[in-house]
Parts: sequence; C-alpha cells; structure tokens
Amino acid sequence: MKRTPFGGLILLVSMGLAMLGPIVTVILWAFAVKWRYPHLLPTEWGMKYWFAMLGRETVMTPVLTSLALTSIATTAAALICWPAAYAFARLKFPGRQLLLFSFIAAQAVPKFALFVSIAVIFLKLGLVGNFWGVVLVQMLSAVLFMIWIPTAAFRGIPPALEEAAFDLGASRLRVFLFITLPQAMPALAASYVLAFVSILFEVDSALLIGAPTITTMPLLLMTLSSKVIVQEAAVLCVMIWVPCFALMMLSRRFMTARGIAQGFGA
Amino acid sequence: MSDVAKSSGGAAPGYALRTGLGPQALAGLALVAMPVGLLVTLTLWPTVRMVGATFSVDGHFSAERYFAFFNDAYTMANLRYTLEMGFVSAIAALSVSFGIALYLRFSAGRIATMIHGLSLFPLFVPSIIISYALVRFLGPNGLFQLMLEQVGFTQYRTPYLTPVGPFLAFVWENLPLPVLVLSAGLSQVSDHAVEAARDLGAKSPRILWEILLPQMRRSLLIAFALIFMGIIGAFTVPYMLGPPAPEMMSVFMQRTLGNLQDPASAQVQAVVLMVISSIVGGFYIATMVKSSAGAR
Repeated sequence: MKRTPFGGLILLVSMGLAMLGPIVTVILWAFAVKWRYPHLLPTEWGMKYWFAMLGRETVMTPVLTSLALTSIATTAAALICWPAAYAFARLKFPGRQLLLFSFIAAQAVPKFALFVSIAVIFLKLGLVGNFWGVVLVQMLSAVLFMIWIPTAAFRGIPPALEEAAFDLGASRLRVFLFITLPQAMPALAASYVLAFVSILFEVDSALLIGAPTITTMPLLLMTLSSKVIVQEAAVLCVMIWVPCFALMMLSRRFMTARGIAQGFGA
Repeated sequence: MSDVAKSSGGAAPGYALRTGLGPQALAGLALVAMPVGLLVTLTLWPTVRMVGATFSVDGHFSAERYFAFFNDAYTMANLRYTLEMGFVSAIAALSVSFGIALYLRFSAGRIATMIHGLSLFPLFVPSIIISYALVRFLGPNGLFQLMLEQVGFTQYRTPYLTPVGPFLAFVWENLPLPVLVLSAGLSQVSDHAVEAARDLGAKSPRILWEILLPQMRRSLLIAFALIFMGIIGAFTVPYMLGPPAPEMMSVFMQRTLGNLQDPASAQVQAVVLMVISSIVGGFYIATMVKSSAGAR
C-alpha cells in the first residue's frame, strides 16, 4: 500500500481546503471592509467593523452576559465535580461504579430533547428567561468534562508517593494539597477550559431556557448571521473563537481518543 | 476539598459502625452527592416526568398523543429525514476517516502529521462557528464558488438550505473521533500480517477487506453509534444550514415549543427521539461490555 508523495500532497491540499477553508473565509470577512462578487479576495481591508461592533451596546451586552453565565456555571460545576472526581478515583464507597456509569448513561440522552423537558418544568417554576435557570442547565453541560477528565487524572497518579507521605506522618489534607493536587492540576485546568468553551458556544440551553429575556453571544451570532452586513457576525466569530482556540490548544493533550469517546460515554 | 480530610478522618467510629459504612465510604458518598443530585434533578426527574406527562391526557392514561405523532405525515417525514441524515452522514464520516486513518497508518513524515492535525481541527471548533463558517464558504457567492469561478467553473449550485448543507457540516464535525479511534486500531494491526498477505499475493482491496476491516469492526460500530446519536440530536447545524422543510427533530421541537406554543407535542417529539437514541446507546454499551468481557 505504498503511496507516492504526490498522492499525499493531493490529500493534504484537499483536506486543507475542506477543513480550513470555512474558517479562513470567516477570518477574511472579519478584516474585509469591501468584498464584492466576483473578487476572490476583499478589495479593501481594515478593522472598521471591529470598532463599530465594540462600541455597540446590543453587541457587548450579550457578550458580557455570556461570559458571566459561563464563568459562574463552569466554576460552580468545578466546585461540585472535582471533589466528586477525586472520590470516584480514590475512595471506595457503595454504588461507585453504578454512579460513575450514570454519568456516562446521561450523555446518551439527546441534549436538546432533555432541555425541552427541563424547559417545560422551568416554565412552571418561572425559571425560563431567568439568569440562574440558565446557569443551572449549563452546569449540566459541564459535568461531562468535569467528571471524566479529572477522574482519569486522579486515577493516573501513582499512589506510591501519597503513601510515602502518609508513612512520614502527613495528614490526608496535607498529602492532597501538596502531592495529589499539583499532579492533577493540568488535567483540572484542561477540564475547566473544555467545559468553559463548550458552554460559551452552547446554543441549546440559551435558546430553550434563556430566550427571550436572556440573549447570549451564540444567540446574537445567529441573529447577526442572517443580516445583510456579513462582517458583523464574522467579527464576533473571530473575536470570541480565536482566544478560545488558543486556550483549547493548550489543553489538547487531554483530548485523546479515549477521552473523547469517554466524553461521549465510552 | 478540605472536607475530604474532615469527613474521612473525623467521622466517629460508632456512627460508621451503626450505618455499616466506613468513614471512607461516607466521605465518598458525601463528595459525589452534589453532581449526582444535579443529574437526578436535571436529567432523571425531567425525563421521567416528561414520559409520564406525554401519556396523560386530562388526567387519564392515554397513548393518543403518540397515535397523533405516528399518524401525522409531516412529523413522520421529519423523523425519517432525521434518521436518514444521521445514517448517511455517519457512514460518510466513517468512510472518510477510515481513508484518512489508512493513509496515516502506512505513511510517515511531515505530510502525514499535517493531515492528522487537520483531521483533528474540528475538535476545537464549536458547532455554531462551523455552521456560520460553512454558510460563508459554501453559500451563494461564497469563497468556494469564487475559487471555482477563478478556474472557469461557473455552474456551482450551493448546498446551503438543502439537506446537503447539514450533511457536509456533520461529516466535517465528526471526523476527529473516528480518525483517532481508527488510527489507534490500525496501529495494532501488525506490519507482518499485511506483508505476509501481500507475499501470498493479496491485493490491497483484499487486504483491506479481509485483514483490516474485520479487526476494525468493533471500533467502527462504536464510532457509528456515537456519531449517529450526536447527529440525530443536533440542533445548531440543521437550524443554520438546513432546508425549512423537512426539519430535523430538534429544530422541529424548538418550533413546536417556541413558535407553536405546544409543549405537549414538543414533549412527545422529545420522548420519541430519546427512545431512539437510547436504543442506539444500549446497543453501543452492549458492544462495549461484550468486547471488554471478550478481552478478559
């Protein structure tokens, strides 16, 4: 099955076009001042639309709402899930396997359908269109990353070091803070980043639980994407996604085949 | 985190004896209580309640809403479209990733590394971003059309707002998982097996069919189930790229709930989708369990 480098080159070029072409188009639009058919590239470049977007309240309010919602939901999820992940990895308790499995099984439930069921309940409780209602539902989306990645990380830490510290008389808390936690830190940080980004761009919860009173950044993007001025949505995409992309690249070694499959429930 | 120390070290032995649980077990249960509670209140309870609600008409048990669902031509067209989209897109994503994984298995060097990197790129791109980007790339007068016209091709018909639009987006989004899983699987097929077959005169397609595919069967099935479940539940991609009709189930649900203000029907639609997803999910878990039992 030897292939000529030429075949590889053709595959590379077509892959490059298919995988990067759409994103490159958006980046071009974000910095285009004038791009009219049939020009292959913008004929006038600049940041004109960036300044216009940044100064507008209808743009900045949803962006700030999204950042606030996402920070609160992700942090709250971390506070309840990370200790649980430690327990799943290190402590023996009845029902441990079953409960861990329930987090997998929950991922098989189609999210949008689940949010419909929650929306009907929240409607009765007056939580639809409520900031904290959205936070609660978004926490659910974070659980996936916040249980699996940290549980695997805590499991992966060799217990020998912890045992040695115990033998020398260190308390459980001290061992946790100075031995276990530093080793788990990169995985915990990665789980935070992945949960944060996935919540930040989540449409489903914002649409079913937040709308119409709470407009988040993804909902704004949907509205802008049907507008005549193409640049506005493009600027918003680049402005929000590029920093997230950089953060995710730092966490990429936790996005392994097993990790992703587990995320889906393997 | 400090309650790890407190509750496990500090629980009175008498209490632990009375409940029959050691301090470690109590600490463990206490620590997992919150996320498990979240799962119970926001997944288990709403789902069970919703299933109950769909079978209750004026306070009586009745399946009439389901009869209405399965007898409505438009609803059935949407369900059928959703399942077909899931099936066709998942098969296409698997075929493309199998090709990529095969290439990666038998080549090395900078080109292979770059192809590998490109195939993982969708992991870093949220649905809403790629949906919007595909509108701009493949849409009318988009960059793709402009590029084709540069080389003299002027007959471009945009897939935007046709079923091909969401199909392409689903294939795009679902490359990374099978590429990772299949390349891991293919790397376990030894070079010796392939060379031995070739020495005996087997041609490449036959090696593929009789040596590589059988060993990949389980990985392919698992990847198919995961991708299929993801697609039939998707909202953003069909909402942004798909035709107004037929609708995929999530878009249909959103319109039924939001525009038509008909939560009763929306819940029936949600339950049907959940049942289909859980059948595929159950099959997937069975495959996992069977294979891990076989490995032991």
